[in-house]
Amino acid sequence: MGPMSARRLLPSRDVALLLGPCIAYLVAFSVFPLLYSLRISFTDLGASDATGNWIGLQNYADLLADPLFWNAAGNTAIMVSAAVTIQVVLGTALALFFNRHLRGAWIVRGALILPMLLTPIVVGVMWRALLNPDWGIVNWAIAQVGLGPINWLGSTEWAIRTLILVDVWQWTPFVFLIVFARLQSLPRDVFEAADVDGAGRLGMLTRITLPLVLPAIAFAAIFRAIDAFRSFDLVYGLSYGGPARSTTTLSFLAFQNGFQFQNYGYAAATAYVMVIALIVATTVLLRFVHVRRADAA
Amino acid sequence: MTRQLERVVAYVVLVLIAIVGFAPFVYLLLLSTKRRIDIVADVPPTLSFDWNQIVKNYSEVIGSQGMLGFTLNSVIVVGLATLLSLVIGVPAAYAFSRLRFRGSESWASTILSFRFMPPVAVAIPIFLMIKGVGLQNSYPGLILPYVAFTLPLVVWIMIGFFDEIPREIDDAALVDGCGRIAVLWRVLLPLARPGMTVAAIFGAIFIWNEFLVALYVINSRGLQTVTLGAATLVSAQRPIDWNIAAAVGIVTVVPIFLFSLFIQRYIVRGITSGAVR
Repeated sequence: MGPMSARRLLPSRDVALLLGPCIAYLVAFSVFPLLYSLRISFTDLGASDATGNWIGLQNYADLLADPLFWNAAGNTAIMVSAAVTIQVVLGTALALFFNRHLRGAWIVRGALILPMLLTPIVVGVMWRALLNPDWGIVNWAIAQVGLGPINWLGSTEWAIRTLILVDVWQWTPFVFLIVFARLQSLPRDVFEAADVDGAGRLGMLTRITLPLVLPAIAFAAIFRAIDAFRSFDLVYGLSYGGPARSTTTLSFLAFQNGFQFQNYGYAAATAYVMVIALIVATTVLLRFVHVRRADAA
Repeated sequence: MTRQLERVVAYVVLVLIAIVGFAPFVYLLLLSTKRRIDIVADVPPTLSFDWNQIVKNYSEVIGSQGMLGFTLNSVIVVGLATLLSLVIGVPAAYAFSRLRFRGSESWASTILSFRFMPPVAVAIPIFLMIKGVGLQNSYPGLILPYVAFTLPLVVWIMIGFFDEIPREIDDAALVDGCGRIAVLWRVLLPLARPGMTVAAIFGAIFIWNEFLVALYVINSRGLQTVTLGAATLVSAQRPIDWNIAAAVGIVTVVPIFLFSLFIQRYIVRGITSGAVR
């Protein structure tokens, strides 16, 4: 603290100058669009008319009666829960694997960040090639061990699994990196003490390591769940929602209603159901972040 | 003996991880060098390369398919939007890191929460706003919304970096009679340069990859960004030449590969937008 603390409470002019542009910009290009979207969701706005008619909650009522909405909600729920569960298990396993000293492992570890930086559109194309039913190398590879062929993206049964598979490929490194960072920051003496106490390897893992990294795992899981819930680009690039809407997520449904069918009011209502779900999820996440910051302080 | 065996198993696992992680890229790269008919005929693809074919594929993608033009569009949009979001976001992050004011925590949380909003929820209003002011099919039509998308990222990454710079440095400068703005500009910005690099790279990658808003705002082929251009070239909706599609994919991701080399050290902080420390 010191002599500066009194001064720090004063400078509201500085706050306005430093923070003002950022707040103003976000109000104009994030808050306003969100409110505008809410307004649109109460209208029957389409591409042809300029304002649309106020129809109150009609879009939301239609949505709840729309089997396509429930189909998309179901697909989204399956995708989010399956993808995040697998990512958490694999990501934590990877983190534990890389936490032991292995010469040369850092090269693989460093390069594992690449998938999550990639354009989802390109990830989609890449996997459509890998999984091509006629000449893709994956079906060739599993045929060598007597399996398949699998119609990865052409059957309703497999397409959603394939979407999950690709999401897992792209985002497991995310969970891995966060859990790994946490593991690396743990004090060594905890493990040494446990070793002295004669805790076996499994005991060390379940009773010491996992509880200590649990906050990181939970954080990564929530983060991933929110992102998987919103995912649109990958669906567009990989399966375009098909076949027979078996991979149509809520984002993709909102996109189709808005962009393809130009039914802006209905699309906005679809998206707003997502916004409400995300506000709830984000509130939970931020509470969690606060806990962590308090921990660190 | 068991130690030895364990090491062997560990290396086998490491190699498997590497294969699962990178084989897809290698496969795409391989396909991008082939003739169209070779892809269907040779399964798995052979490792023989025909230099002329490689040149032919890539010159088609870069030239006649327009990827060079798309790349230029992306470079302009990414560059300007990233710059603008740093100009607006860095002072805000500085204020959050250093100044005490009412509700600062909840302001910061609110800004972060915009990172989680679904793009589909704002795509239509942004499209209507951009159209309303006549900026459809223009660079500003993309840059304006992209700055808003990257601001939360920039602010959160920079709060983390500013927090790491000791406050005594500010205090010393303040005692010397500098104002807050002068302290930020002359003293802290040079110190925060690594942070700004990280924020810029993550912002740039995000904008480079953005797809949905571009799809709404741009419908003139000449103004398409790389991601939008790639998406129209390889759309799941129409039959495609796979050698060309693969080359499009490679051309799109090469800049990201290059960028990622610079951010190894900061990756965890970057991907979580500074939320975990």
